[in-house]
Order: sequence, then C-alpha cells, then structure tokens
Amino acid sequence: MIRTMRTGALAALMAVCVSALAACGSSSSTTSSSSISSNGIQSPKTESQTGGKRGGTLTVLNHEDFEHIDPGEAYFVIDYQALYATQRPLFSYKPNTFAEPSPDMASGPAEISSDNKTVTVHIRHGVHFGPPVNREVTSADVAYAIERAANPNVANPYFQGYFSSIEGAEKASGGPIPGIKTPDKYTIAFHLTKPNAQIVLDALVLPLSAAVPEEFAKRYDAKKPTEYGNYQVATGPYMFKSNSEGKVLGTGYQPGKSATLVRNPNWSASTDFRPAYLNEIDIKIGGDTNVIGRQVLEGSGSVQNDAPAKAIVQLAYEKFRGGLEISPGSGDHYIAVNNKQGPFANVNMRKALWAALDRVAMDKARGGTLVTNVMTHFLYPEIPGFEDAGGLAGPKVDYNEHDGGDMAVAEKYLKLAGYPSGKYTGGKTVEVVGSTGDPASEDAEIANNTLKSLGFKTKLSLVDQSVMYSKYCGVPAEEIDVCPNVGWVADFGDGQATLDVPFNGKNIASTGNPNWGQVNNPKINAAMNKAELLVGKEAREKAWAAIDRELVEGAVAIPYDWDKEALIESKDVAGVGDQWNVGSWDYSFTSLK
Amino acid sequence: MSVGAAEMLPSAGGGLDFLDAGGQIAARSPLQLFWRRFRQDRVALASLAFIGFVVFLAVAAPLVVKVLGLPGPNVENSNLTNAFGSPLGPSSAHPFGVDALGEDVMSRVIYGTRVSLEVGILGTGVAAAIGIFLGVVAGFYRGWVDTLLSRMVDVVLSVPILLLGLGLGAACAVRGCVKGLIQPGIGSIIFIIALANWTYIYRIVRGLVLSLREREFVEASRALGASDARIMFREILPNLVAPIVVYSSLLIPANILFEAALSFLGVGIRPPTASWGQMIAQATPIFTTAWWYMTFPGIALLLTVLAFNLVGDGLQDALNPRTAR
Repeated sequence: MIRTMRTGALAALMAVCVSALAACGSSSSTTSSSSISSNGIQSPKTESQTGGKRGGTLTVLNHEDFEHIDPGEAYFVIDYQALYATQRPLFSYKPNTFAEPSPDMASGPAEISSDNKTVTVHIRHGVHFGPPVNREVTSADVAYAIERAANPNVANPYFQGYFSSIEGAEKASGGPIPGIKTPDKYTIAFHLTKPNAQIVLDALVLPLSAAVPEEFAKRYDAKKPTEYGNYQVATGPYMFKSNSEGKVLGTGYQPGKSATLVRNPNWSASTDFRPAYLNEIDIKIGGDTNVIGRQVLEGSGSVQNDAPAKAIVQLAYEKFRGGLEISPGSGDHYIAVNNKQGPFANVNMRKALWAALDRVAMDKARGGTLVTNVMTHFLYPEIPGFEDAGGLAGPKVDYNEHDGGDMAVAEKYLKLAGYPSGKYTGGKTVEVVGSTGDPASEDAEIANNTLKSLGFKTKLSLVDQSVMYSKYCGVPAEEIDVCPNVGWVADFGDGQATLDVPFNGKNIASTGNPNWGQVNNPKINAAMNKAELLVGKEAREKAWAAIDRELVEGAVAIPYDWDKEALIESKDVAGVGDQWNVGSWDYSFTSLK
Repeated sequence: MSVGAAEMLPSAGGGLDFLDAGGQIAARSPLQLFWRRFRQDRVALASLAFIGFVVFLAVAAPLVVKVLGLPGPNVENSNLTNAFGSPLGPSSAHPFGVDALGEDVMSRVIYGTRVSLEVGILGTGVAAAIGIFLGVVAGFYRGWVDTLLSRMVDVVLSVPILLLGLGLGAACAVRGCVKGLIQPGIGSIIFIIALANWTYIYRIVRGLVLSLREREFVEASRALGASDARIMFREILPNLVAPIVVYSSLLIPANILFEAALSFLGVGIRPPTASWGQMIAQATPIFTTAWWYMTFPGIALLLTVLAFNLVGDGLQDALNPRTAR
C-alpha cells in the first residue's frame, strides 16, 4: 500500500485571526447534501490530455516533503508524482485510467508465455538517459533497476511482494537475478517459478522498473542507504535540476525546502505519450495546508499537492469551483476488527457492528459526499471488478443496506451471536486504537460511540497514525479489538493488489502485519491463492469480485469510506490529475492557461 | 504553640475609644482578618464568585445541560454538519454551535469544566502535598537530607516538562506506563503536573522552615519533649499556610493551561471526554469555517485561568498585607 498524503496532513498549529471574527469566514454556510453538484468540477476521467499551452513554470505547494526520490526506494504519493515525470517505468497509467496501463519504456504490450511463467517485454528504441549519462537506454538498464531493488541498501518495499516469483529473486541481494534475462538490447524477459505472470506484469507499472544505468549508479548503490536518488538520472520528460556531475541534492532538491524539475534535454517527444507542456516545476515544501490552500486558490500559477483541508475544499467549491478537481478511486477506509479473538471473532458480531455503523456520519467527518462515497464492499471504484462486486450500492445483504446505520438489524445479529437482549452483555472492554488528527479522530469517536450503542464498554486510545500501525494495529500480540482508521490504496489497478495483502491469512505477521483484522478464512485464502495465478483482465476481475463478495459475506471488516481525492489549482492553471496514485496532479500533462 | 495568634485591632467605633475599659476591644482570628482584607478586593471577590460558578457547573454539569435543554456532550448528530462536514454555527438550539461531529459545543464546554478543575485542583493538591512534606523535612533536618532532596529538585527542575509530558502522553497512550500505574488521560496529566510542580512549593516551604526552626516556639516545643514529627507538622506547618495557599492558588491556573496545552497537542485528555484544550485543537483546522468551535472553549479557558490568577493575587494581598500592591 503506497503511503498517501493524508498522513498528518493537518498540522496542529494555532490559527490566529486578528481581524473580526466575521472576517475569518462564514459561519452561516448551510450547504445541504442535496445541493452538492459536480457542475464545474474537474475530473481526471474527462479532462483533456491534449491542447495545452507549452511553456511556463508551475509552482507546486507541498505541506509534506519527499520521502525518497530514488525510483527504487520510493513508495509515497509525492515521490511517485515527481518520479513519473522524471522516470519511465516499463508501463504506466495515463491520467484518466487506473485500469489500463500503457506501454511507457516498453514499446508495446508484454508477452506472457502459455504456461504463465514467462513475461517478455520489448523496450523502445531511441530513449536516452538524461545528463550526465546521455546514452541510449537498454534492457540491461531495466534489469539492473529491478535487481537493485533487492539490494538491502535500496530496500525496495514491494519487491518481494510482487517479484519474489522471479527465479532467484527470493535470495537476491542486489546482484544479477537468474530469472531476469536480456536476450538483446531491447528485450527483457522474466522467468518465474510459478505461473503468476499477470501480477508480475501488472507490477511493472511501479517505479522500480524505471531504467537505472548500472555503470553510473553502482557506486552510489554501494552506500547504505543508497545515494543514487541524490544523483538520479532521468529518462522522462523532466529531470531534477542537477549540477555538472549529476548531483541533485543541494541543486534541484533541498530537503524540507524545495525541489526543481526542469526539462530533460535528452527526452524525445516521439518516444513518449506525455505532452510535457511545462518548462519547469518549482516545488515548495512546508507550510500549513490551510494557508497553502488559500495561496493556491487566490494566487496564480500554482497547485496544492497535499489533500486540502476540509475548509479549503468547501472554499474551493463555493468560490473557486473551476480550480477544484475530484479524483475518484483514491483508496478506502474501514474499521479493522479482530477476527481471531475477542467478541469480533464471531461473524454475527461483526455484522452487527457493520449494520449499526452510521457510514454517512463517518464520511461526513471526512468531508462529505464531495470527497467520499459510502463504502459498501472492499474493491473500490476504478479497480477492475468493482462493478462485478456490487458497484456503489454493494452486495444486497441486510447489514449493508442502510448507510446511516440500522440498530434493528444490528440487534438481530447480536441475538444471533448469543445476546438475546440485542445488546452485548459479554462484559469485555473493547480496546479501540485509532489515529489522531482530523478527520481520523472523528471517525474513531463515531466508531467508539457505535460500539457503546451496541452495549460494549470501550477504551478508546488515539495515537499518531504511524504508531497506530507499527505498535498496535499491525502487531497481533497487542490483541487490539478494533482499529477504526485503517485504509488501503492499491499499488496498481488490480483486485489482488487491493484485497490480497489486507485479507489473506498468509500475510499475517508478528510485526508490521498488514492484515490488521487477522482475517484468516481458509476458503477465502484458497480463493485468493487461486485467483493470483489467473491471467487476463476479465478472468481476474470476476475472480476478485467473487472474493470481494465472500469478504462481505464474512464481514471481515467494517467498511465506511471510498476516498475521492480533492485537488486544487489556481485559475490560470490547466491541471490534469491522475486517476491513479491517489489522484495527484500529473506534471507531464498539466499546463498553464 | 504557634505564631499568628489573634491580632488586637480597633473595634468599629474608631478613634481612641478602644482605649476605654469595658470590653470594647475585639479579638479577631487570622481567618477573620484575612476575610476582612480579602473582601475589600472587589476584583478578587468577583473572580471568586466566577470560580464558584465554574465549580457549580462542573459539579452539576448533567443537571445544567438538562435544564438548558442541550444534548449531552457526546451526542453526535451528523445532521448538524453541512454537506462538507463543516459544523453549523450558533443557533437557539445550540447557542455555542456544534463541532465537526455535530456535538453541542456549549454542552462540551460545560463538561470541560470538570476536566479543567480536576486537573487544576487535584494536580496542584498532589504537587503541594509532596512539596510540603519534603520541604518541611529538608528544612527541618538540614544536612545530608536537605542536600539530597535539594539536588533532586535541581534534577527535576532541569527536566523539560512539556517534552516529558508529550513523551509520557504518547508512550502511555494505550496501555499506560509503569505496569499500569500511569494511565492515559487525566491520571497521566496529574502525574506529570505533580512531578513538575512539587519542586516550587518544596523550595518555598524549605526556605521558610529553615528560618522557623530557629524560632523560640520550636525550641519550647523541643524542651517540652515534642517529637520531630510533631514539631514539623503541628508546630511549624501551620505557620506556612498563607504562602502555601497563595502559591497553590497561582499554580492551579498554570496547571489548567498545562492540561489544555497537552490536550491541544494530542497527548492529554482522550476523546470523547470533553476538554477545552482538545476542543481548541480540533477547532484549529476548521477555524475559518467554524469560529465558534475555538472561540467558546477559548473564552472559557481564558476566564477561568484569569479568575484563578486574580483570586491568587487577592489571597496574596490579604494573607500578606505587608506586600506592596
């Protein structure tokens, strides 16, 4: 799961309004749910990707800094955003899709062998590395990029998750991997130990497949951690500004302060589908999201990259609607409940909580219908199989029918769970660990109150989001009963990337456990292990949609929010957002008006 | 025997009438003298009345909320937020508006008095008890006991207490610390306040005891065979009431603010318990669209802290009339 920008996006800084209270904003805004209209709001699905004006400098305001600017290390929305303008993976998504990757460094669709154990990709001729390397990219550069992901100095976070079936990958540590072959300068083949070619192919949209010149990078990869990011060589239309030795750090990237992307002089438009209208992208790092939001909406030539504050989204909708873009399919949020022990080991207890939860209130706390859809199952919008799995309405089961919660249905399942009064009388105090900050803490409070309404005594603790995952919800030994603030963003548009990690029992780990609810249903596990091997979009869609229905039937978690990402831009910016990557601005398609 | 016996003062007649025989001379207790001086300070009196009001609100919060026709402090109502999740402003049904969960802000402000007073008074009480006990012991025994305790105070005073509060608040957030001895929420805040503040009272008490232990009444008690404990806590301690009361009254508002700061930073009172600091923190990101959410808890915090400070000043003047105003 890629880390999203929502983490800690709202700094707890005291706002001071020195003028009259009335000047601080309207107190009488009573926009009702029914008056929300999508008129005038941009969407990546409908925005034009062509016809932009060439030239100009875009100013990007980021509350948060990059984590890594090395394509092998990166696993964060903001990192990806810059890297997909500077690097070219084998495949990538155009802004309007999260389901159909396009050949990027690849010259065409990949070939999968009949036994589903070999993936062959041909790469483009005539793509050159940026300075200081300047030579043509070959398949050996792609092979090295993937091999270095296994180098402990690079420590790529998803290599073992998606590429471990490549022959020799499990034991790889940065050197050549026997299962990666480069029969010629423009061909690379992946030989697999099991027939899961489709997932390996799908994962080639991730930035680790962006070519890295071994002769240049090796000296930096020998350091722990690797320093290649500070000297990265571009293949995309833009590059981090660098000095004559190719050093980015201190030139095109000042940690905590700024970054500058300039045109890659060796990029050729004829080899790429990106229009790359802008001449330069200046990224300013830091600042309060509320302030940044106002600067963008009221200023010129700029976009905000972090998720805007709720107040800013409202302001944009009411006064700057042309500068507001909503990107659907930006992940989900649900309540993880302990399937292994405690009261929620009983499926009827989980259904009772699902039925009782007011998902409308949970979503309103996140900003309302403009930026959320009520979550009714586990494949989220834009992920292949979503419609098969029930679409927005979701499966027709009684505990899923009332978005606003239904205590009568909840009581029914409590009775089925062995509590004839329709209230929990087991006496256990349920331990609830949520995340601090807006809107997570509000969702945690609503979930906590829902538990109380079912008769539970609760102990609610709110901690920093990273602590919530690393010390409590991701550590089964802590025996946390309810984690109300977990969520998932798929690495790429596929049912397996959405459902397998958080719900397959094989992924339960003693620390860093991503299966927060410890879901370990043998039937579901078997179905997932089988579906993993399927090849072809349609077959996979059907299989993962069926698994989704099983997850709903087992009420393995309590869903409440499908995220839609709000993006804001100044009036003179023709921003194009990405459907994928949590809906962030795409620098390669955005232009100035 | 203790000092501070009844003071002889003119009776109401004024002039030199009090020199007349016939029982015209009135003896007043220290309490009466204190009250005579204190009630002349109208600002302090008004502040005391406000504190009384706050205490009433804290004790009778459920009743007050019911009488005012407000929902309880944790009654969520998403119908009271607009389509963007922004809370609706003040209205006749919700005079202070609602928060992002649709909870009534006035109701939460009223319940918030409980947390502020609990932390302010209990935290100060525990700190004072520790500071008084150790201060009396150090001042009375002097020597290595004094040296040991005073160095300990130096160490405690060098601890950055807000950082400690943030650290303990985070570390003890879920399971508590020290085998559950320090529990998250009010318990850990009171612990931190006591840990930080006993040193100030210790220093004051120790200094005064060092002086008092040389006085004749102590010598007399010792001659009569009184034990050390009796001398310390029955003879010397009553003479320290005035400075302890004054200093403690000034610590209470500081501790209320400390709780608000910790809650603002997310390591204080845990939701859904209403706390002014926590409310101000939650209101910060939505201040531009919901000014009332920060304003009313902010005013409550300001007035309460101001009232305690003014009462503290009044006590200082009344208990120590030699202090120039």
